[in-house]
Amino acid sequence: MAVDPDLFESMRLELRRGSLVLAVLACLRTERYGYTLRQALAADGLEMEESTLYPLLRRLESQGLLDSEWREEEKRRKRFYRLSPAGTAMLAALTDEWRGINASLDKLL
Amino acid sequence: MDMIDRYLAAVSAQLPQDQREDIVAELRDLILSRFEAREEELGRPLADDEQEEILREIGHPLVVAARYRKGPDSLVGPELFPYWLFAVKAGLLLVLAVQAVGLFIHLVSGPADAGQAISQALHGFIGGGLTLVGLATAVAAGLERYNIRPRWMTHWRVKDRGSFGLSAPAAWGAAAAGKPQAKAVWTPKPAAAHWPGGDHLFSLLVTGVFVLWWVGVLQFPGLMNIELRGADAVVRGAPVWTALHGFILVYALGHMAVDLAGLARPTAVRLRGAGRAALAVAGLWLTWAIFEAGHWFTLQRGDETARIAGDGSMLNLDTLRALGDSGRELSGVADNLSIVAVWVLAMMAVGLVFQLLGGLWRLARG
Repeated sequence: MAVDPDLFESMRLELRRGSLVLAVLACLRTERYGYTLRQALAADGLEMEESTLYPLLRRLESQGLLDSEWREEEKRRKRFYRLSPAGTAMLAALTDEWRGINASLDKLL
Repeated sequence: MDMIDRYLAAVSAQLPQDQREDIVAELRDLILSRFEAREEELGRPLADDEQEEILREIGHPLVVAARYRKGPDSLVGPELFPYWLFAVKAGLLLVLAVQAVGLFIHLVSGPADAGQAISQALHGFIGGGLTLVGLATAVAAGLERYNIRPRWMTHWRVKDRGSFGLSAPAAWGAAAAGKPQAKAVWTPKPAAAHWPGGDHLFSLLVTGVFVLWWVGVLQFPGLMNIELRGADAVVRGAPVWTALHGFILVYALGHMAVDLAGLARPTAVRLRGAGRAALAVAGLWLTWAIFEAGHWFTLQRGDETARIAGDGSMLNLDTLRALGDSGRELSGVADNLSIVAVWVLAMMAVGLVFQLLGGLWRLARG
């Protein structure tokens, strides 16, 4: 039976939504600014709208999981983000959780 | 001003003031990076429509700015929505029932213009319904904004389930069939005299419930207990409520008297106008006395307390703009609630001035 494409899209987005924070934290083990972060995520198959990514970065920073600083690069001031120590610990905990969920799902699927 | 500036100005106007500059600088870098990448791809500068296309991809200024907003994304979130829906459904059915009872009494109790009576009942239902939905939404938005969960949400009991039938008219019938006294509640008593119906009935009932609660006959367990960031907190009234207890009771009884007068003698427009004007004056005095007290409630969580208090210096737009900036700790919540309280009192005063003018108008014109 054919899959309803609209329903699939909505479920796919729901499935992805929870994993984006993990992806962003993992990507920011290396310092990046917003634009290059988005490119890095896209290169790994995780396209993310700017209007989602930039506010998410601010939220993660306000939660103490990211550090940021303004620096000049390519003649323009850019805001660089990287994992804070709290973010590193959170990434480790979320990674364990993610692997647990994956293992459980693998048994089911 | 070029296209980027116009776009960023539109976003900036919706952003929190303290972060505006920072967010706009970051967005500007994002837009310029996108432009440069596209220009490199095409090997030429971008035309205006191509720039606009990229800005459209980034998002509508209102949507982009909204993503940066602190606090909840919706007025009534998924956790509160079932409670909101129940309150609205039950409330609307109650308003409908009150209007229907009023209309029935109006039609059977005297020489009435049926068309006018139906129109008044419909008007009363729509007005009451809209007010109810607005109030329920405002309360839910407040609970969402400050992440407050009343005890009746977190410590509910199975035995309370009976009241949930209120939102289903079929349950009223079942209750009435099983309990003769329930029928008595919903069966209108024959009117002894000309009685116009539900114009003032809803107001009378609401004020009556308030009076019964104010004098302690009705209890709402958990009303003053809230859950704040996972911990139980209590809202305690300030001394001003004890000092003004008797005045507030007399004021509410005065409201009931005017509503009763409206029910008994709907043609006495001047009398009701005089009553409303007098109540407005009393209400203005009470509002001023409460405002002047400067301390209205105390939030208590364990040993920690925070005052909900304020004064006239908070009645400015800068204070209103700062709403929500005080954090989610007990003191921050109290600061935000203080701003809300100051503005609610101010708006009440404005409303009472209009009530006074309306009452005087009716008194003069009849």
